[in-house]
Amino acid sequence: MNIIGLWTFVRRELGRFSRVAVQTLITPWISALLYIFVFGRIVGSRIDTIEGVEYIDFVLPGILMMNIIMGAFMQTSFSLYFQRFARHIEEVLIAPLAYWEMIIGHIMGGVLRAIVVGAGIYIIAILFSAASFIHVGLFIFYALSVAVLFSLIGLLVGLWAQNFEQLNVLNTFVIMPLSFLGGMFNSIGMLPLFLQKFVLFNPFFYFIDGIRYAMIGVREANTGMGIFVIVGSLLVLGGLLWHLFRVGYHLRV
Amino acid sequence: MAPALEIKNLRKEYDSAVAVNDISFTIKPGEFFGFLGPNGAGKTTTIHCITGVAHITSGNIRMYGHDVVNDYREARRQVGLAPQEFNVDIFCHVWDILDYVGGFYGMPKLERKERIEYLLKRFNLTEHAKKEFRMLSGGLKRRVMLARAMVHNPPLLILDEPTAGVDVELRHMLWNYLRELNKEGKTILLTSHYLEEVELLCNRVAIIHKGSIAAIDDISAFLKDGKRLEHVYLEITGNKTQET
Repeated sequence: MNIIGLWTFVRRELGRFSRVAVQTLITPWISALLYIFVFGRIVGSRIDTIEGVEYIDFVLPGILMMNIIMGAFMQTSFSLYFQRFARHIEEVLIAPLAYWEMIIGHIMGGVLRAIVVGAGIYIIAILFSAASFIHVGLFIFYALSVAVLFSLIGLLVGLWAQNFEQLNVLNTFVIMPLSFLGGMFNSIGMLPLFLQKFVLFNPFFYFIDGIRYAMIGVREANTGMGIFVIVGSLLVLGGLLWHLFRVGYHLRV
Repeated sequence: MAPALEIKNLRKEYDSAVAVNDISFTIKPGEFFGFLGPNGAGKTTTIHCITGVAHITSGNIRMYGHDVVNDYREARRQVGLAPQEFNVDIFCHVWDILDYVGGFYGMPKLERKERIEYLLKRFNLTEHAKKEFRMLSGGLKRRVMLARAMVHNPPLLILDEPTAGVDVELRHMLWNYLRELNKEGKTILLTSHYLEEVELLCNRVAIIHKGSIAAIDDISAFLKDGKRLEHVYLEITGNKTQET
């Protein structure tokens, strides 16, 4: 195992998102601050409690999870696509690194960005007295496993995309709609009946519900099902990605 | 001692097009080997197969006895590549470019630092170490590419048109440095369209044409009877072009 090589991957990814910190860190922090202030504090003060908790406490886990997802996804998808676009992926391809080390290196970059973004949002939440942990272990599991999952999805998109526009396709047509319909701002009991049934097939519902349960002890989904969805997705996507790197899909000619 | 580079029956196809057709040759340790051919002849494809950028359709390649597919980690530690194109993160600082590559090759921090400082000094890049790659002139960019190929101090250097677009001063500086490296025992595979450069530096030359090795010999054999390499090169590549 090339430990120094792997650590170098992490340093490089850290350097990449640090040098555009306004785009990668400041923007999600400001965006989260506005969500928490406007939806959580201002609008939330006019809303009755949901599942017995104040709206700001209910909405915070959803905002946190969405930013973890976006941070991890944007990091790996843009990093890999840009390496392919500028061809400096060749620096990595000719180095003594295994396929799985390349994948792990990118994932670590994605997870690191998700952690930094998430930690910033958690600090903002503390300022609004909205941050809490009921089940710390479960919180760590959901935050890290979902960050890994969306780092993998970002890598898949980074491999597949042939132009910058395609990088945003998944975000626009899948991640954003499913996040908003997955109970980020509301209890699923508030949705129309036909959508309530649809939500059970929306994986984002389990991600958001899981972290909400870990933070405030309120849940609407089966936590076991949520863990199964995450672990199953990790195994399937990890295997697929390892295969694509091994055959050099859009990497080696 | 195992050959620095041993290529056996290498074939590379892109979809239905054959880019390299069953080529075989060997480079001994310490040789300065010129690898010539017209554009599209298969030079860069061969280099990509050696370094792992391209899949090998059939045949095999060994570097210092290490198979580039089955024993790729050890094989890749033996070689440094300075490619034709600037395949680099243009927003990255020069120091970081070299530091990351050294890290990928598993070099510890202190060893990387010493090596990078040496290379920056050797290529007159010290004052540009903290500049972004995109801010450098063409000649400076070329120097960074060469330094990057040498960060991990490999015994085999592959230089794909390293003097394309550089000024006379850098070209001479580079020639002197390459001679020095070769004297110290480094094996060098050089591709270039400047045939006087190949005459001056290389002790053995192969000419690839339409994916096949058209000629391979000591430089003295190409230059016998007062011929210039350019004449021989044109005879080989020009005549064959007319035949088709």
